[in-house]
Amino acid sequence: MSISAEYAQEHLNDPAVLCCRREAGTQLSHHDLEDPAIFDDLVSSGLLKLDGALTIGQVMGSTLTKTLDSLNPILKDCVDKVQEAAASAVAPAATPTAPAAASSVTQSFSGGKLKIHIGEGKGIDLEIPMGLGGGVASSGAAGAVAGGASAEGSAAVGAEKVVRTLTRKHFNITEVKRGKETKIDGTTLYIREGIEKEAVESQELVHDLKVDIITKDNYHIYSETIMDTQPIATKEGDSELGTGVTRVLDNVVMMLTGTTDEGVQIGEFGSSEGYLDENVMWNRPSCPDHGDIIIRGTVKIENLKNMERPGPLAAHKAFDVITQEIRLALKELDEKYCVSKEEFKQVRRPGKKKVALVKEIMGQGAMHDNLILPVEPVGILGAHPNVDLCNVPVVCSPLEVLDGCIHALTCIGPASKEQSRHYWREPMVLEMLFDEEIDFAGVIFVGSPQINSEKFYVSKRVGMTCEAMDVEGAIVTTEGFGNNHVDFVSHIEQIGMRGIKVVGMSFCAKQGALVVGNKYVTAMVDNNKSEAGIENEILGNNTLCPEDAVRAIMMLKAEMTGEPIKKPEKEWNPNVKSQNIELISSVTGKPVELVKNEKSLPMSDKYKKKYANA
Amino acid sequence: MQTHKAKYIDKVNYYEGIITEVHDGSVALDIKGRLGSIRIPKRMIISDYELKVGQEVAFNMSFIEQISN
Repeated sequence: MSISAEYAQEHLNDPAVLCCRREAGTQLSHHDLEDPAIFDDLVSSGLLKLDGALTIGQVMGSTLTKTLDSLNPILKDCVDKVQEAAASAVAPAATPTAPAAASSVTQSFSGGKLKIHIGEGKGIDLEIPMGLGGGVASSGAAGAVAGGASAEGSAAVGAEKVVRTLTRKHFNITEVKRGKETKIDGTTLYIREGIEKEAVESQELVHDLKVDIITKDNYHIYSETIMDTQPIATKEGDSELGTGVTRVLDNVVMMLTGTTDEGVQIGEFGSSEGYLDENVMWNRPSCPDHGDIIIRGTVKIENLKNMERPGPLAAHKAFDVITQEIRLALKELDEKYCVSKEEFKQVRRPGKKKVALVKEIMGQGAMHDNLILPVEPVGILGAHPNVDLCNVPVVCSPLEVLDGCIHALTCIGPASKEQSRHYWREPMVLEMLFDEEIDFAGVIFVGSPQINSEKFYVSKRVGMTCEAMDVEGAIVTTEGFGNNHVDFVSHIEQIGMRGIKVVGMSFCAKQGALVVGNKYVTAMVDNNKSEAGIENEILGNNTLCPEDAVRAIMMLKAEMTGEPIKKPEKEWNPNVKSQNIELISSVTGKPVELVKNEKSLPMSDKYKKKYANA
Repeated sequence: MQTHKAKYIDKVNYYEGIITEVHDGSVALDIKGRLGSIRIPKRMIISDYELKVGQEVAFNMSFIEQISN
């Protein structure tokens, strides 16, 4: 089927293939050309060979010298002349299911003032004075004119403004013991004996709760599915979440695990039960670090409640009774035990490219829920479940995110779920917070409801929020895969259709490939780390890490400076990620350290049975 | 990785089913023709309307192959 003139313009660099039989002497136009979108399938099934094919830009307006049948690529000897408008030859495809930042086109513009277009050429060096007004100084992606174009034109560059600050005071813990009362004595944390009973009594649906303390030496211990990993932190004095002072205990985390009375894992589908050392991807933002002391709670809830909303929530509430008592003890701890202070500043940079981070969180119900904005970091009290908020967008400051404004009930898919600790040290927020080339406006949390009409309802609100914030770029992230990709892609559309540049981040790879798409889904970063590109049930394995954050921000900058993103490859190809990482390292001069994956862990029997059947 | 071990997965058949259970987190369905039942997390089902017992669903699936010896 032929294509439209507009579509042909968008695909000038794609191969030119006849859509129908055309006689010699035909002057070629978009009416004669086939849609490049279908070529991948035709090539892989052997129906089409594109070797030596000219591009659409090269044949438009030329005259056929031979009569050709449909689905014949147009070669050099089939036309009277090759037009010079586009780059020569069919560019090799480069990017995977999740496209990536890479560009080679000699075009760059910014701010509506500076515009350079070079049709064809070799060895061209352009030097443009920097600092014409701030802006994005370096796009990161290698291009003939990478960086340089930072003219913001008349956009006023105002003074940087510190909106708010957050100080984290770290207190070291070297030992956790049970004792008569919950207290912190120097670097030893005591948890009151018998506190479990009160925790159980606080929730009707919780029938049992066991607490044990797991140190590095006994990580090889069986655990029920891990529902959440949380930092232990509390606000100092009257400080509100996201501002003022927060006290946090280092080297110790809370871990909630559990089943129903009859032993069904809470989180049923894809659960991470098994030996801890074989099922936890240590040091992921959401996971315990290797060496952390784990205060583990194992709950038993009423049968059949594992898939109902009140079940997982009750488990979290009961466990928080213990955490809250530790928080109160932490408030009382003498200042002299503070080992380090960390200060986060939320800085607005007027005149720089304004960007927002949109984080899609789960909102289908049961454990697919998140408590937003509790009074204490990752607490319960004061928070509202996003399911009850109808999953509409909630704007938070980056510092609220880093201060634990999300208490995650965590969805299924252990490898890709973002636990509460993830938000506490969210790499994307940190990357954007410290980036002086952008004006980071805020973080928009949006839930993912079940029903399509609700999904589109919330995504339209996301688009409208971005419009009202007047951002120039946005990064949209999601956790896991499934029907949440329907709204994830819709968020990208709603943002993109308003002329805002947008980059998507998700676990995709092999198993989580997007089920839908639209013309705005052109820039994607894949969070996959697993060898095979699958949900491998290793906790935190495929979650967003610094190596993904740096790719996303570079890709967004490239987009905002007008550099095109290469098309994705037909099949998932992990090499695209490594190429982009290399590209970024070579441009920034800073190596990007890649995290380990499941191969670094001892292989569990469960994994052997399920995935390594050789 | 595993998909390469299956020989017939590109032979996809169309199936229909009836929803038999709806929970906050999961959905169960019987495949029409007495071909078995499936229980899946809610996010693995794409729905235009609220999910209810008795509603019909459809999906493509290949036959299941044994891949271990």
